[in-house]
Amino acid sequence: MYPFWEVPFFTSGIVIALIATFHILPCHLATGAFWFSVYVERKAVRQNRPELKEFVQKFTLLILVFCFVIGSLTGVGIWYSATVASPRAISGLIHNYVWGWATEWVFFIIEIATIYVYYYTLGRIDDKSHLKIGWIYAWAAWISMVIITGILAFMLSSGKWIETGGFFDGFFNATYWPQLFTRTALMFAIAGVYAVTVASRMSDEKARHEVVRTASVWGIAGLAGTAVFMAWYLYKLPEPAKELSLGGGLPYLGHMLTAAGVLMGVIFLYFLVVGLIRPQFANVVTGLAAMLILFAAIGAGEGFREGVRRPWIINQYMYGHQVVGPDLPAKGIKSEVAKFQEEGLLKNLYFIPDEWRTITKETAVKAGRILALHQCGNCHSFEQDGKIRPLPPLLAGMEPESPDDLAGFLDSLGDYPYMPPFTGDDQDKQAVGAYLFYRVLGNPMIDEGE
Amino acid sequence: MELSQYLNMMRDPAGLPFYPIVFQFLMVLTFAMHIVMVNLVVGGVVLAIWEKAKNTPFSHRLTKALARMATVSLSIAIVLGVAPLLFVQTVYDPFWYTATTMSAVWAMFFLVAVAAAFYAAYTFYLGKQGAGNTKTSFALSSYVCVIFLAIAGVIIHMITMEQTLPSQWREWAVSSWAGLNTSGFIFHGVKLGRLMHFILPSFAVTGVFLMIYAWYFQPRSDYSKEYLDYVAEKGAKMALWFTVFSVGAGFWWAGMIPKSLHFLSNPFFIVGAVAGLVLMVFLAKAATEPVKNAIPLAIAMFVAIFLMCYAREALRMAYAGASGYSIFDYKLNISWGSTLLFFATFIGSFPVLYFTGLAAFKAGRAEKGEVVTISPSAGRLALSLMVAWFVVVAGLGVVISLKNGALF
Repeated sequence: MYPFWEVPFFTSGIVIALIATFHILPCHLATGAFWFSVYVERKAVRQNRPELKEFVQKFTLLILVFCFVIGSLTGVGIWYSATVASPRAISGLIHNYVWGWATEWVFFIIEIATIYVYYYTLGRIDDKSHLKIGWIYAWAAWISMVIITGILAFMLSSGKWIETGGFFDGFFNATYWPQLFTRTALMFAIAGVYAVTVASRMSDEKARHEVVRTASVWGIAGLAGTAVFMAWYLYKLPEPAKELSLGGGLPYLGHMLTAAGVLMGVIFLYFLVVGLIRPQFANVVTGLAAMLILFAAIGAGEGFREGVRRPWIINQYMYGHQVVGPDLPAKGIKSEVAKFQEEGLLKNLYFIPDEWRTITKETAVKAGRILALHQCGNCHSFEQDGKIRPLPPLLAGMEPESPDDLAGFLDSLGDYPYMPPFTGDDQDKQAVGAYLFYRVLGNPMIDEGE
Repeated sequence: MELSQYLNMMRDPAGLPFYPIVFQFLMVLTFAMHIVMVNLVVGGVVLAIWEKAKNTPFSHRLTKALARMATVSLSIAIVLGVAPLLFVQTVYDPFWYTATTMSAVWAMFFLVAVAAAFYAAYTFYLGKQGAGNTKTSFALSSYVCVIFLAIAGVIIHMITMEQTLPSQWREWAVSSWAGLNTSGFIFHGVKLGRLMHFILPSFAVTGVFLMIYAWYFQPRSDYSKEYLDYVAEKGAKMALWFTVFSVGAGFWWAGMIPKSLHFLSNPFFIVGAVAGLVLMVFLAKAATEPVKNAIPLAIAMFVAIFLMCYAREALRMAYAGASGYSIFDYKLNISWGSTLLFFATFIGSFPVLYFTGLAAFKAGRAEKGEVVTISPSAGRLALSLMVAWFVVVAGLGVVISLKNGALF
């Protein structure tokens, strides 16, 4: 196991979640915006309406400044945060999908080249060539979504890959198409919100109202598509994921889905009222409010997507605590659960003082902390007033009377549908039990000799 | 547990989907492209501050050009940086993940620093576009940009250095009184010689950029010969002298490397050092006609940088080898399909980038107000390739999904 980065109260997982949620806004804007931008530019060219080009220029500048720094940086940020929070999981994805990511990178290069050229050559090259550059950007950006969705969907439904280990068998899995279509529809809704906001700053009133209305229609169509394809996505979820989320296994997942739906409903009203009925209400303030609501909706939706994967971080392959679950003969991979349960996790850790490898009364709690971090720390905070699934109230509810009670409980972890099994031997369990009982629950340590 | 046992145990169990030498080559190539853009940002912003202080018409004009160049270069640098980041995680995963996890807070702050540097650069650029050009806030933004770039540079240098010092990891992260340091604040390994070898070339690369700038804008009537000569001569001097300093820093760094690694007799180091020396001679000879020699010099400089990056990779291999790790021992699970997908896409991107580059080149060289026509056939080919990529991959996806029963 790699060293562990502990984020008190929140867990390191929340760092990924925050960055990932924030990444969705600029990245979906980058993928969706140019279909609309090129549509408006095409109209400007065909109908000889230069006033519409003001929108194109302003919109492109926003995409440049927002998407190509914050978007790219948060994209890299997801990698960095995944690296420091779940290094073995991101490694597992990269070693299966490195060429997928490298292919996506080629489209990133095309995107950045075309968007700069598009922005700086507006009015300086012939209209047809300029439009072509816009189309190339739109395709490149959307293709980057086509690629990354395969890797994201793989984490939830790894499909035939489990049997074959094949790149494409894992990539084109059961949730790939519905997720791609959902994201594609959503990108038009996100682009719609931004377009309405940018268009509200146009100087020509007639053109302003026209673009605001058109962007709203695109946005409403995007939301409608999102709802339809989301239903398909939910239908295609693996059965355990359905049971967890829709069957009430983890009620909070259902709440998140509802929250995402309600917030998207608010965005629908925004398009309807601000975009279509009263376009004069479209301004930066209402636009920013809509973006905040979008941010919350995306956070809820992505939280749902992440949550239904439990107990896996890569479906049917790697558990949430970054231990390989079953054998994968197609790739010559052996289960680590069996290995650690037989040999002990403590003996397989490099980052631990040598004298703690054998548990004694003195070292049990200390070594137990390191083991507990590896086993539980990705998802649970250890503090009494921790914000993310704090362990103390969960454990206190079981009313354990000794470390042995908790050590025994560890045996049953794998019976919960959303929990990975404890991957260690009896010595490891004793150490974790001692740490949880004395340190996390704060029970006093009493010398048995007294 | 021994270090080599840890390093080899932490290799990803899935193995590599293609031969490690290919990933290594791509890692070095894309890193060289990335570092050139980083150099342009650092050199460009510092030179912009310098030129602004001179307060002459030529220096003001150059400041404005450099400020724009810095924003563009930084966003390109970020995108280019994704590839070496990907490939280093592929072949050196135990090193990358260990160092980054130990220094997690710094890794996160690196992102904040780069974002702050970019927006400071943008404020500086937009400020230069406005009238006056003397507002304190805009001058301040250039200093803020340099400070955050420096912070980002030191952090990434530190994380890279930590990867080369695995024998010290346990000493940094583990103690018998506290167990494992899980704070993410571990900060070790800064080596001034190596850091200078990355910073000094920024001014040499920017020097060559100035020469290309002078060459590129020659046909434009709004760029006077005097101004372009001013820029080109400055570029030639910067390129030469900072290449000399960079080579000096390189030897300083090389002298600090443990002798047990025998790096000074490593063929990659010798080739990299010779490339640096040849570049120096070329620069000295070319300085008399900087505009004419701009393009060959730029090519020569990139080749030299690429070879030096390979020397740096050879050093990394030597450090890893001393700890019992070699990328060439990685288990293979060859994936021909995905390898083909990448290389076909990579090669297919050339016509697309050609068309885009052609548009930029012609538009930038045209007189103000002139609208230029770009080759329609190149445009059609570029756009067709994009659509064709999607049609082929989506078609493949539908067939595979139907075969695997994953579609409905």
